[in-house]
Amino acid sequence: MTVPIPPPDHDHGDDEARETPAQRVAISIRQLSKTYPVALARLKKFFRRKATNPVEALRDVSFDVREGEIFGLIGRNGAGKTTLTKIIATLVQPTSGAVVVGGFDSVREEMAVRAQLGLATAEERSFYWRLTIEQNLTFFARLYGLADARARTRIAELLARLELEPLAHRRFGELSTGNKQRVAVARAMLSSPRILLLDEPTRSLDPLAAAATRALINSLARDADMPVTVLLTSHNLAEIEELCARVAVISRGQIRALDTPERLRAVHKNAERVRITARGLSTEQARDALPQALGEFELSGDGRALVVQFTRAVDDDKLDSAVRALHDAGGRILACDSERATLLDVLETYEREPQEGVET
Amino acid sequence: MKRVGRFLGRLRAFIVRDFQLALSYRIQFLFRTLEILFFVTTLFFISKIFTGGAVTSYTQWTNPLAAWITGLAVLNYFMTGFSSFANAIRQEQAQGTLEGVLMTPVSIPTFIVSSSAYDFAQATVYSSLYLLFGWLFFDVRFQGNFLLAFLFLIITTLVLASVGILSASFAVVFKRGDPFGILLATTSTLFSGVFFPTQLLNEYGGRILGGISRFLPPTYGLDGIRRVLIQGQGFNEVREPLFTLLMFLAVLMPFSFWVFSRAVRRAQREGSLIQY
Repeated sequence: MTVPIPPPDHDHGDDEARETPAQRVAISIRQLSKTYPVALARLKKFFRRKATNPVEALRDVSFDVREGEIFGLIGRNGAGKTTLTKIIATLVQPTSGAVVVGGFDSVREEMAVRAQLGLATAEERSFYWRLTIEQNLTFFARLYGLADARARTRIAELLARLELEPLAHRRFGELSTGNKQRVAVARAMLSSPRILLLDEPTRSLDPLAAAATRALINSLARDADMPVTVLLTSHNLAEIEELCARVAVISRGQIRALDTPERLRAVHKNAERVRITARGLSTEQARDALPQALGEFELSGDGRALVVQFTRAVDDDKLDSAVRALHDAGGRILACDSERATLLDVLETYEREPQEGVET
Repeated sequence: MKRVGRFLGRLRAFIVRDFQLALSYRIQFLFRTLEILFFVTTLFFISKIFTGGAVTSYTQWTNPLAAWITGLAVLNYFMTGFSSFANAIRQEQAQGTLEGVLMTPVSIPTFIVSSSAYDFAQATVYSSLYLLFGWLFFDVRFQGNFLLAFLFLIITTLVLASVGILSASFAVVFKRGDPFGILLATTSTLFSGVFFPTQLLNEYGGRILGGISRFLPPTYGLDGIRRVLIQGQGFNEVREPLFTLLMFLAVLMPFSFWVFSRAVRRAQREGSLIQY
């Protein structure tokens, strides 16, 4: 992983820069639990048929998503991400607890909740395959209550934004998987919702289209007039890390950790291996220049460039002092790489751990 | 007023969608029209077997062709009223489109009623074709108050729609194997007097078999419509079947809505609403 070299007077990392200021809560989840009941349990009991156990999909989940925040939800398959998304989307009712979306309760005021939400899943079958993209979007726009003129403008706007214009009159069934996914994102944005629930929005996209979709998600959240809150579920951890201000790790129906990606990584692996590449210094000059405080370090060089490697705690000053020292000694810094914990490490840690303490 | 406007907007969205989908299967309409024409023609020739020999005591059946095509036209409409709600749910569940629809601020009752609207429009066209072909090619003449006949049609359709809502409730929870559909569809043709007078059931099948028809709403709907269109009877003469239908409606409508709301709640709890 390559990190930008911090300028000497820069005293905060990019995590604070990405965090949104304390804002109003867009989605509030309180002590949410969901156990899927066994279908026809009483009947099965009556006939003495062996019944499966109820499935506990979510247990005591609580967190808030702030307005204008891109909030990531990561976890393995079956961890409870989809159930949580569907409860927020009012498609499934919780067993206990509450979800409040924009001030409306997801069970008692489901219409009001739906009016504020847009949901894009990777499920291709939720469209009419024999209708064109435009016909599909027009139908859903009408269900959202958009007047014809407004619907036409909005659809044209979204087709242009998602680069779907040339395909507007193609039947949905004739589209590639990636384009179908982009239509799903377009549908989710039809009513200009305040909250977007995106379930793996870039799963089937090519790298360029995925990057464009990520840029779109980012721009929506940063919209000065009406910032959109995004709850992003993805198995693409790099994407989560790139986009999300905060991330929740869900495992076996419980939120195991919730923080900024940087802090989550730091908590799980406090040390990182740093590798600085510089030019204009000999190994001897570099050895003399590097401060004692750096501790153990390795130096190597091939005559053209010099490589310094050392281990540091994620938030200590060693990187800063090493860069300063090499720079002051007349060296030119070419690159600085670090190997630190990724969200994958974080996820793996929680999957290995027993279900006890919950860090939030 | 705003709510009505919103409902009409959504109703239109579903009708346009279904029309567009039907357009993508253009040939279907042509073949269905030809099928009705051939069937009416076949019935015309069968009716000729009875020319001059029809038993006059069955006053609605002096012209069997008129009785048959009225019966078929009306039955087609009744069956749409009965089956379209459950079909709407089942079809969207099977296609996987229910999730997309239910993510919009559309209530489930609005969704079911709206997504059945095109079926009714289509049934109106096909039912009219039975009558039109009879009138156009085989000299079948209808009389009486068409508005009164229409009232019977609407009330009977609403009664059957109530049973249809029960059927939809079943589809919401159990997805397949709807007992209401099987019962009503198989019994209506035999016991409601579509192809022969229901009195014959009493004469040949005894009181028990004959009594079954009295529990079926289509019997009263068909009888009322034939009395108006074929016998030319007025409101006072058809009050009895009309009130019977209204009683069916008063019981079945609230009951079906209650069952449906429970079914939806249960499916949401089980997380199976959008599954098939």
